[in-house]
Amino acid sequence: MRANGMLELDSYRLAAYTVPCPCYICGGGNNYDAELCRHCHAPMALAHQAASQKLHPRMLAAIGPSGAGKTVYLGMLSDLLSRQDESLQLLARGAFSIRLQQQTMAALSQCEFPEKTPNEPDRWNWMHCQVLRKKKKAVELIMPDLAGESLLEEVDHPNTFPVIRAFLTKCAGVLVLIDAPRAEAGQSDEDFHTMKLISYLCELPAERDNSWHNHPIALVFTKADQCEHCFDDPAAFAKRHTPGLVQQCRERVKRHEYFAVGVAGAVGRRIHQHGRVHVPLRVEPRGIVEPFKWLLEELDAKASK
Amino acid sequence: MQQTLKHVLTSGWTALAALSLVVGWLTGYWTLGAGIALTSLCMLGIRGARKGPTTRANLLAPFTRWLQTPSPSAGAQSVSEDEPTLEETTQQQHGDDSLAQEMIRYGRVALLLRPQIAAGLSPEELKIAQEALDDAMAIVPDGQVAMRPRCYDALDEGTADRTERLVHVEGLFLDRCAVTNRQYYDFVAGGGYEQMSLWDEAIWPAVLTFVDRTGQPGPRFWSAGRFAKGQEDHPVVGLSWYEACAYSRWVGKRLPTDAEWVKAAAWPVAVDRDRPLQRRFPWGDSMDRRLANIWGSGHDGTVPVQSFRAGASASGALQLVGNVWEWTSTSFGAWEPAARKIETDTPLKSIRGGAFDTYFEMQVHSQFQSGAQPLDRKHNIGFRCALGFCDVVNQAADGDCHASEEKHENKQTHGSQLEEATA
Repeated sequence: MRANGMLELDSYRLAAYTVPCPCYICGGGNNYDAELCRHCHAPMALAHQAASQKLHPRMLAAIGPSGAGKTVYLGMLSDLLSRQDESLQLLARGAFSIRLQQQTMAALSQCEFPEKTPNEPDRWNWMHCQVLRKKKKAVELIMPDLAGESLLEEVDHPNTFPVIRAFLTKCAGVLVLIDAPRAEAGQSDEDFHTMKLISYLCELPAERDNSWHNHPIALVFTKADQCEHCFDDPAAFAKRHTPGLVQQCRERVKRHEYFAVGVAGAVGRRIHQHGRVHVPLRVEPRGIVEPFKWLLEELDAKASK
Repeated sequence: MQQTLKHVLTSGWTALAALSLVVGWLTGYWTLGAGIALTSLCMLGIRGARKGPTTRANLLAPFTRWLQTPSPSAGAQSVSEDEPTLEETTQQQHGDDSLAQEMIRYGRVALLLRPQIAAGLSPEELKIAQEALDDAMAIVPDGQVAMRPRCYDALDEGTADRTERLVHVEGLFLDRCAVTNRQYYDFVAGGGYEQMSLWDEAIWPAVLTFVDRTGQPGPRFWSAGRFAKGQEDHPVVGLSWYEACAYSRWVGKRLPTDAEWVKAAAWPVAVDRDRPLQRRFPWGDSMDRRLANIWGSGHDGTVPVQSFRAGASASGALQLVGNVWEWTSTSFGAWEPAARKIETDTPLKSIRGGAFDTYFEMQVHSQFQSGAQPLDRKHNIGFRCALGFCDVVNQAADGDCHASEEKHENKQTHGSQLEEATA
């Protein structure tokens, strides 16, 4: 009997192996028990959750040059929204979705910034969550923490990171993070990198109505606590310090808005084993939720059309 | 308006007296006329007596009002365009006040109690001034306080012990509450930004840039030299370390040092000579978001300085934790071990206590130090003032105080040298 049972189970497995399980991000076929997609390294849990719960999560991306603060922003956003019981709440789906929040909060509470996101896609943190809103339908979202260097590598050499291309093609909206103090200091790299990213998005293949010209783009100046006037009028700040980006957005993106956010009230540097690292002197988040809220509203507006 | 009314009333009673005499004489009813005239003169006399010799009551009236107001918001007058300014109102109310009384009203009682000035006060005035000081400031007794680095909680026990330093703090008074917009308004309206003697000479060029949204001298978030309506009793924010210092000088006080601030909040008890027992928060060792205005306490901004009374320190200082960070006179990083020193582009000043938007409770406890550039004018940094015991006269222990002045000076020098060395 036992032998028969084993045989039956093995047969079932063999049968399951013959049916490819498509990755939710790139659509590539995988074995049903694969942890990561063998094509793009996105977690297969996303596909399993979508299939088992009959969900079709939308995708939002936080992109920006290396060091712009994507990890801190996403970690802080998820923690803020998962703590409050107000109009906007975020509930993680799956343990892997909490990892980013956990790592970021553990570091910030000890007055450290989280470690830099590695370039290898299989080590990125993905977040699948449900966003609950008062008097509105809940939204399922997937938001990965992409590495800034990988993003720029993909922009400069398309298809280096298929996962980035596949993900951004399917994205419904994007948060473009820009380092405000660097922009204010006149480092034109910040402007160029962001222009490249916007340009890359606009060139992605899409149907006419679903192209990036019509998608909402939140342009978020990070670390604004180090240049306080950025909070007063982020659009004016953008005009002064990132003129190329402003022009490109004005001409090529219909729906965009400027925001300023800050997480650390002040920053210092400490000698670390790998050299000098920045450390937050305290944590006082400002303006974190607003860009995300705006994106959701824009997505609603687009859906209602 | 009030003056005109008084004048009309006085003239009326005089005219009535004269008229009744004339009419009585003309009509033959001179007894009735004389009676009315006499009554009118009596009324004049009563009015004169009311206006007259009540110097004691006049002296006490504003002070009593100030002391007895349970929450300043109850009697506070907001500053708006269509109402008289605070300056005008106070001038009307206290036009005849003595200088001493005026100084008490403006919270500059510490200046009155300076030994040189107090000698010229009457015993009554001295008593009132001392009561005002006791009411406005909490006592922090002298003793040792353990100063710990920022990373203390993350260190292993042995290393943590080595990084802890005992510092002796002389007895002092510390403001029970952070300085409010209303208090700071007195400084601004009193020409504090023009009195260059209040400002460090090195900072004179920057004083011109310490302006509000409309370019008037004042904190960053004010407009036209005024604070926002309804914010009278909120802590003043948006001012630099130098503005805090200038105000402190104006009221005859100073900013507390880092060790003084920690001593007031952690309230060390010397059960062990090597390591005093200290509180993690002013009210005890565990965080309770109902006792302080930090992130998650249900307020999105500052609250009046007299709220959260249940979170008071042992000596009655309110909101040492939460609401706004507080400037201290010490440099940032003074207590960090050499291996974990934090570098910054410009030297920072130490700020303590956390603010309404401080996210982690680990960053608002008594020992946590953060820093800000002295010229920063942030939305969540305010201050409170301190005053050494021996900077003011004390009737009860006047003799002891003077006797120990020399000793105190020596210790203070020693203390500041120690802090400078550690910085």
